[in-house]
Amino acid sequence: MSDSIDRETVEQVARLACIDLPASRVDETAKQLAEILEYVGQLEQVSLPDDVEPFFGATESVNAIRKDELSPSVARPDILSNAPDSDGEFYQVPPVF
Amino acid sequence: MNAATTQEQRQSISEDDVTIIIGLEVHVQLDTKSKLFCGCSTEFGAPPNTQTCVVCTGAPGSLPVINQQALRLSIKTGLALNCEIARFTKWDRKNYFYPDLPKGYQISQFDKPICGLGYLDLFDQRDKSKTRRVVLERAHLEEDAGKSIHDESKQGGNSRIDLNRTGTPLLEIVTQPDMRSAAEARAFLNELKLILTYLEVSDCNMQQGNLRCDGNINLHIRVDGQQIATPIVEIKNMNSFRAAERALDYEAVRQLELWKQNGLTISDAPKQTRGWDAATQTTTLQREKEASADYRYFPDPDLIAVTLSEEEIDSIRSEIDRLPAQWREELIGQHGLKPYDADVMVGQGRGVIDYFLNVAEGCGNSKMAANWIGQEVLRFLNESEATIESYPITSTQMTELLTRVVGGELDQTRAKEVLEQMIEFQLEVQSAMDKLGIKPVDNQEIEALCQQLINENPQVIEQIKGGNAKAVGALIGKARKLNPNASPGLVKNTILKMVGG
Ligand SMILES: [Zn+2]
Repeated sequence: MSDSIDRETVEQVARLACIDLPASRVDETAKQLAEILEYVGQLEQVSLPDDVEPFFGATESVNAIRKDELSPSVARPDILSNAPDSDGEFYQVPPVF
Repeated sequence: MNAATTQEQRQSISEDDVTIIIGLEVHVQLDTKSKLFCGCSTEFGAPPNTQTCVVCTGAPGSLPVINQQALRLSIKTGLALNCEIARFTKWDRKNYFYPDLPKGYQISQFDKPICGLGYLDLFDQRDKSKTRRVVLERAHLEEDAGKSIHDESKQGGNSRIDLNRTGTPLLEIVTQPDMRSAAEARAFLNELKLILTYLEVSDCNMQQGNLRCDGNINLHIRVDGQQIATPIVEIKNMNSFRAAERALDYEAVRQLELWKQNGLTISDAPKQTRGWDAATQTTTLQREKEASADYRYFPDPDLIAVTLSEEEIDSIRSEIDRLPAQWREELIGQHGLKPYDADVMVGQGRGVIDYFLNVAEGCGNSKMAANWIGQEVLRFLNESEATIESYPITSTQMTELLTRVVGGELDQTRAKEVLEQMIEFQLEVQSAMDKLGIKPVDNQEIEALCQQLINENPQVIEQIKGGNAKAVGALIGKARKLNPNASPGLVKNTILKMVGG
């Protein structure tokens, strides 16, 4: 599986991921993405019996569940200190509309 | 399907040729103490950004862990809605960017939702003796986003974000497009809300956004033997059931008019998102979130799957008490209520049913209890916007009052006066009766009263003697004035006997 990735796909993925990708780097990125997919695609060469269930995560363990109990939240000044901008109460973001 | 039509064909359409197709997506906030994946409180109304942590704001390296109660409430809801409950369920990331979504993705469920196919039966809005079934596609458990407060001044000021709500558990219930009118959609929402409140899985407070719904609507139109479908519109921002009904009604008319003009079908135009504008009572085109259609779901690597055993599911099933439909049946079948009265009572919630059951059993007359609660109690609750829990007359007091009516000690008119006194002056039944001067009237007093009426009203007596027994009615009011405690029935019978009727 050495499908090439076209420029359009790269641009679309960049847009969806909100990444500013300069036009000059689109070809290079397409090539890199194709290489990654090809590498991962090796997995498809492994032949599996039909009755194997698909695997959804990196571990086979299930049921990590917690009780519905409160634990302390993070103090507002601390959590807001992660924000690029805030008024001490709210996160401030550029106008959405 | 969806062939081109001519202007002439489109103008010839009659109402019978048009079928309205509606599906709903309802988001219900589950009533947990803590959030879906962290221990932050879900309490409404806290100061902004005081109920968040590294997990619900998506700080790198933090790990979400699923809330057991959210799972249980989801399963309980699914069981009550006749859904298949998954034995294996998992979470996926729904990727999009919006300022109130700090992680850049919402943890939701894509292909292994906790609840699969189910259904909900409703009264047919055109014929309440029949039911209609709305099939439920699925119900999945996901986290809520935060709240954006936009600058209303139109000066281009910043938006402010409060993440307290971020990560609160939501169950998204998705129907198939089975509803055929806006009224039916509203009936579905009413019944769903009723079930959710009976289950106590959510308080369904729409003002607080604990129940939100979006609708998908289009029209199927028969034109010269073929059927076409208009483009599907998703309506958002329907923040009350009444708004939902109006928005869907409006949209059905708008789509028909638009199609008559341009003839565009589902194959010609993509799905559109419109918002309900309560101020203008119209739907308006919403600006699409760019590329929002491509959410690129993938399994959330921070979370592991949950498996559910038969025992766990059975134990949750055993916690489910009677649901609204079963209560209606019981009130009609066991207590002789009329279907309409049973429906009204069930619609008021469990508290009113319990109140009724206490009074019906206590006074020994279900019908009378139903009438009094249906009229006196519910009228009071509606007028004062109170709940049965805050109604000033306990079911014990109401039982005592109605027991006296059943025993003939009070007629219904006087009993209503007693009830008024009880409410106004916070009195027990006996004290209220004393205050009104109500006391038993013995037979001698009744006879003396009747004799007086006979003497004073010779014309009426002549009419009665002439065979018009109904004329006695004219004396009942006079009797009440002379002695308010005299039972009208007794006065009537005594006069007729004395006159020799
Ligand atoms: Zn948190």
